[in-house]
Amino acid sequence: MDWKHPITRRQSLKTLARMSAGITGVAIGGYSFLSPGRAKAETKDGKFLVEGVATKKDYETKELIKTVFEAAGGMGRFVSRGDVVVIKPNVSWARSPELAATTNPEVIEALIELCLDAGAKKVRIADHTIHDARRCFALTGVGQVAKKTGADLVFPRPSLMKQMKLHGQRLDVWPVFVPLVEADKVLNVPVAKDHGLSTLTLGMKNWIGAVGGRRSALHQDIHQTIVDLAQFFKPTLTLIDATRIMTKNGPSGGSPADVAVKNTVILSNDQVAADAKACGLFGYAPEEIGFVRLGQKWGLGTYDPQKLTQQKVLL
Amino acid sequence: MKARHLVWIRRISQTFFLGLFLILLVESRLSEDVYLDYSLYFSGDADIRLDQPVTFFFDLDPLVWLSSLLSGHGLVHGFGWALAVVVLTLFLGRVFCGFICPLGTIHHAVSWIRPALKGGSMVRANQKTPAQRIKYFLLIAVLVSAVMGLNLAGLIDPIALLFRSLALAVVPAVGVAIKGVFDAMAASDMKILNYLSYGGEALVSPVFGYGYPAYKTAWFIGLVFLAIVFLNRIRPRFWCRVLCPLGALLGICSRFSVLKLEKDHEKCTDCKLCSKTCQGAASPEPGQDWEKAECLLCFNCFHACPEGALSFRFRWSPKINRRPDMGRRAVLTGIGAGISIPLLTGLDSQAYHVSDPRLIRPPGALPEKDFLRLCQRCGLCMKVCPTNAINPTLAEAGMAGFWTPHLIMTQGYCEYTCTLCGSVCPTGAITEISAREKIDRPIRIGSAYVDRGRCLPWSGNGPCIVCQELCPTSPKAIYLKKEAVSGAGKTTWLVDVPRVDLKRCVGCGICETKCPVKGKPAIRVIAAGESRSIENQILLPDLVP
Repeated sequence: MDWKHPITRRQSLKTLARMSAGITGVAIGGYSFLSPGRAKAETKDGKFLVEGVATKKDYETKELIKTVFEAAGGMGRFVSRGDVVVIKPNVSWARSPELAATTNPEVIEALIELCLDAGAKKVRIADHTIHDARRCFALTGVGQVAKKTGADLVFPRPSLMKQMKLHGQRLDVWPVFVPLVEADKVLNVPVAKDHGLSTLTLGMKNWIGAVGGRRSALHQDIHQTIVDLAQFFKPTLTLIDATRIMTKNGPSGGSPADVAVKNTVILSNDQVAADAKACGLFGYAPEEIGFVRLGQKWGLGTYDPQKLTQQKVLL
Repeated sequence: MKARHLVWIRRISQTFFLGLFLILLVESRLSEDVYLDYSLYFSGDADIRLDQPVTFFFDLDPLVWLSSLLSGHGLVHGFGWALAVVVLTLFLGRVFCGFICPLGTIHHAVSWIRPALKGGSMVRANQKTPAQRIKYFLLIAVLVSAVMGLNLAGLIDPIALLFRSLALAVVPAVGVAIKGVFDAMAASDMKILNYLSYGGEALVSPVFGYGYPAYKTAWFIGLVFLAIVFLNRIRPRFWCRVLCPLGALLGICSRFSVLKLEKDHEKCTDCKLCSKTCQGAASPEPGQDWEKAECLLCFNCFHACPEGALSFRFRWSPKINRRPDMGRRAVLTGIGAGISIPLLTGLDSQAYHVSDPRLIRPPGALPEKDFLRLCQRCGLCMKVCPTNAINPTLAEAGMAGFWTPHLIMTQGYCEYTCTLCGSVCPTGAITEISAREKIDRPIRIGSAYVDRGRCLPWSGNGPCIVCQELCPTSPKAIYLKKEAVSGAGKTTWLVDVPRVDLKRCVGCGICETKCPVKGKPAIRVIAAGESRSIENQILLPDLVP
């Protein structure tokens, strides 16, 4: 290739697609680069899942997150010194935290602190919300977390949505919220909730909040589009917040009656495994949830206990 | 005090108040500094409110206060400022026009920076004309129709007009133009341009709005504003002299003012420099009768007189000023218009009977009749609405409600716990409510219904249920039922189809906004069922909740 001349986006996408074929941790859109740490964490053998449950009545969320990460070998295993880390919470709704429509801000806060302790250069919080982003960031508490910890809060501005090639079964070129691919490490921190169409919304479904465009059209083939997005974003880690879960009226909820307190978090470097584990909290088997089943089928991850190192830690 | 000082004090004051007006205009939006204490939300209901007193200029405006008082029979909160302006005017004259009014300052600046006329023609243009009676006609028409129950003041009140023009037309027009540039930069392959577009966007968004709002009928609002500014080419401060009803009201108030222009006929050399610089066509020349009611207190004549023949002095003498030259015709036609406009607008029955299905008022809006008594059509609610749902009406509310706020759900939706619009309404046409009230009462602004021919599941075109997902009430007003629907060919699908439970629907419209069927969505909201109206209902009320 002639590097002296600027290349078009199409060319760069093609080149990158070729370069990344067969490699896990795809470099995207010509802007991000391959990260050795990320590729390593995703090797077949290193797959793990840690379920942390607080049994104490008055527990500190921070303590729970810390315990879970310690069981997984410490944050230093995943985040290296000088990394730019982006956190993708689910703060789609302008709802207060106790309604479980959004990720618990205390979980996000604890996670950011661990990242900074591990030497992360910069931590960003980015989500393409459904309700007005200003109100979402304010009411869910994520704005205050950002202020307290010094993390950057990235607003979903039009200039940050960029057409990218997703290489999915159902989605080809789609606008992507750029900050979620332009980072060294991507941490997915969804909240576990009920959902009218996909039955549940967990880790993989959280990637719908990472794209722009006509998102409401994704529902026409919801499970496959979720899997397409999940194989594109490939997080370093998935930490499912199930401290409070929404058991009905999802995904927006709105009433304390829709909420069940579980005091649980699930950490894994395999998004299918994390989601599969969370299904149990709602009384579902992983096979019953379309996107979890498809995720395993397309090789995104596994919920086969043989292929995972599983741990349960109690606090 | 020397004339030079007075003129400079005036300029500084004008700049200050115009700046303040612009700052408050920019601040009339949901901030992006979203660092609220979330522990507040565990304990109770804290509603997001704006930090700045964005209604200050409306509180200051005696016409807003008087018209609301006459039509709504209620005092506007914060009217103390308006009373202060009236008291100030009683002593000093139209000091508001000369020193404070931001629209007046814009006219003043436009006429001063590039005067349209020179020399003798400017002197002739600054002679008093009978056209200056039009403003009294407008004032009387507005006040009489306010007594009749229709508040039209905001259409021509200078503060409401300026806010509406800048917030809904001028600023969005510039913003959308800038957005075009940023979008082009963001789509570029050059990394540096991407960064610049993001940085630029973050930089301008506090001014041009997060999400670049655009408003229906804004072209017309902008056109009116441009026309009013252009009138300065005909005569300096044409608006203030001829059209401004607030100027007329303050002119009437200045009858007894004690600050008077003293003319020394002996010293006058008839150079007419005073007339040449007079902003209000108030006859400052010695030999003419000074028109106190027309004087904008710009102190230009005092400053321009080379002979020291003019001076402003406090005179506590019992001799009152010249009567404002209203003209009997202006008064009578004003009364006639003030009576006939409410009667005629009452004819297009929409205001008083079942309303237009698209007339979806903001949450907390008063019943239609009371709403029209108080709404100033200033556009403040439209400016603060975070989703750009609130827009000015064209014909939805009848002619009486021209440019009053209504929600267009294809543009935005009413966020379930957002109560900003009511918190900034200067006259209380939209009452201030809390999010808790909005949910518990509940405040409904309309009702949603499914258009089965368009709906993807209902029409056999595939699964969707975006509306159900987004429905914010708990339990959801949009619920799903499995139905066998026939698709193309011989296929029969068993899909979830959405239905609306009218008892739960609050009409927020997020279903309509986000429906994948664009243009005319497959689920739409109509005003029927709005809780502010007794008549515009669909269901029989439940006696047992």
